[in-house]
Amino acid sequence: MNILYFIIQQTMYFAIPLLIVAIGGMYAERSGVINIALEGIMVMGAFVGISFISIFQDSMNGQLLLILAILVSGVVGGIFSLLHAFASINMKADQTISGTALNMFAPAFAIYVARMVQGTQQIAFTDTFYISKVPVLGDIPVIGDMFFKNCYIITYIGIAIYLVAAYVIKNTKYGLRLRACGEHPGAADSVGVNVAKIRYSGVIVSGVLAGIGGIVFVVPTSTNFNATVAGYGFLAIAVLIFGQWRSNKILMAAFFFGIMKTLSSAYSAIPFLNALPVSSEIYKMFPYIATLVLLAFVSKNSQAPKAEGIPYDKSMR
Amino acid sequence: MKKRLLSLLLAGVMATTMVAGCAKKPGAEGGEKGASEKGYELALITDVGTIDDKSFNQGSWEGLETYAKDNGITCKYYKPAEKSDSACLTSIDLAVKGGAKVIVTPGFLFEAPIYQAQEKYPDIKFIMVDAAPISPEKEVKINDNVSSVFYAEEQSGFLAGYAAVVEGYTKLGFMGGIAVPAVIRFGYGFVQGAEAAAKDLNISGVEVKYTYVGNFDATPENNAKAAAWYNNGTEVIFACGGAVGNSVMKAAEAAGKKVIGVDVDQSAESETVMTSAMKSLSTSVYDTVASVYKDSFQGGKSVTLTAKENGVLLPMETSKFNKFDQTKYDELYKGLQDGTIKVGNDTIATDASKLSSDYVKVESIK
Repeated sequence: MNILYFIIQQTMYFAIPLLIVAIGGMYAERSGVINIALEGIMVMGAFVGISFISIFQDSMNGQLLLILAILVSGVVGGIFSLLHAFASINMKADQTISGTALNMFAPAFAIYVARMVQGTQQIAFTDTFYISKVPVLGDIPVIGDMFFKNCYIITYIGIAIYLVAAYVIKNTKYGLRLRACGEHPGAADSVGVNVAKIRYSGVIVSGVLAGIGGIVFVVPTSTNFNATVAGYGFLAIAVLIFGQWRSNKILMAAFFFGIMKTLSSAYSAIPFLNALPVSSEIYKMFPYIATLVLLAFVSKNSQAPKAEGIPYDKSMR
Repeated sequence: MKKRLLSLLLAGVMATTMVAGCAKKPGAEGGEKGASEKGYELALITDVGTIDDKSFNQGSWEGLETYAKDNGITCKYYKPAEKSDSACLTSIDLAVKGGAKVIVTPGFLFEAPIYQAQEKYPDIKFIMVDAAPISPEKEVKINDNVSSVFYAEEQSGFLAGYAAVVEGYTKLGFMGGIAVPAVIRFGYGFVQGAEAAAKDLNISGVEVKYTYVGNFDATPENNAKAAAWYNNGTEVIFACGGAVGNSVMKAAEAAGKKVIGVDVDQSAESETVMTSAMKSLSTSVYDTVASVYKDSFQGGKSVTLTAKENGVLLPMETSKFNKFDQTKYDELYKGLQDGTIKVGNDTIATDASKLSSDYVKVESIK
């Protein structure tokens, strides 16, 4: 049982950042703006968030500091994504190119500033956020062991973000408008929806969530931030596509990727997997092979937003 | 109007960053010390790691930088644009154009590039750390202007492995970066050290989990791997691969277990670092650079720094040992120096699992 609990706890570390960032990506793409800048925004969010922790960890610690840092990361991610929004909505620029620009800019900026300020590019932080057992809830048999031990508060924040985001896009007026702008902006415009505004909001939401995803990614897995999120922004895009731009499928995709990632790195400590003659590379490849297979089958009737990546031009209506 | 406001804002942001950039003096970047018209006399070219990797590159750079500071010589480091022979060669060209007289290159990546560069720049002195120039036909050929420095990492690993078992740990782990000779030497030494200690203390059933993670980075995968080992009972992991150590330390913090650092003293990185298997990177780079200026440069051959030259060590002052004390350490060190303790290097086995014996069981994980 111990191993099962361990796998579930470890899966959270992988799945939660993927989930948050992919949901962010969903907001941008369903509003009609491709956001491949998620990686760069994650780096930016993590950079500022971890710096925040590193600066204030002497005067405060624990969950409050982490929550503040998450807020800071979200704000920075949102602001940073404005660049992408401006280029792709106002300037009608190629969205892939502007996203790439952000991806290239972010790590360079993080390294440059970190070196200027403190001399080294790694930003170290002290982890005072680890929860070995949540009071009360951690005592519940089985469930407590699975979800309320050896965790970070970010797991629950991530789930909460997911629930809210999924509800908003499906059940609110704003969500409907957002989806309309991604499918047929002309139609939305004709009934008085401000396409530019909605798209801005979609990109900003994706920026906020990607920024949060950045810090959520770094805190449980390293002792410092080294200007990289190891390609998890791109992986989140894969999750988004695997999840067919739908929030419930994204949830499943994120956990599928998370479990596969956990198995590929932890299989050596899992007795029955270790006994199998399957090498770790197979587990590593599995999520990607699954994505390819899925794309091959469903790309004909892919559920990608129809107007995704096309700048809205009123005169084309 | 909105557009104008926004562009104004953007311009403002740019201006502030530029001002912030200028406020710091240019020397703060760390790479350049005392630029002059002649350029930079001492140069270091990093391998895949960064200059502040808290490990291999940084250790070498510190030696070079200290010498430069002590003697008022200019120095600068260069970073190849990518991991390829041509990018390394370009960096060497750049360093030479920048006025370099002595070039230090840490890492095995420079085997082929230096083989070419030693012919191309016969007047420049090259100091290779952990590598020797190798021709495309896999032959070692060291010209007179090249000095290649190796370390007996197996002795350093031996000390760490011995100490871990003396401390009472019987479930050990070795997590190397990429299986390059230096990393293998550390690993094999570690296993042999554990074996020797088990034999001396007559402990049987010491287990070593042994793997190479395939990179030198801090990634969630490495973190999960270490966490899985700790969860499975491993008590201490020798993290032997630059930033891989940060992932392992994180896992150790969560699990309340121990880590052994590598290359330089990593005790400041995390509370969990019990000790570090060090090699004297900065001292030896310092000494070799000094030999150039004292006209005692010994080019044309490779030297292996062992315990005899104090080339390997454990930082006893910062180590957190309970049972393994200075006396024991000195005894071992003396044994390594006078040859009564022999530690095999990377050539003794093709796979770590072959190092298993009655005392130590090595499980090699691919």
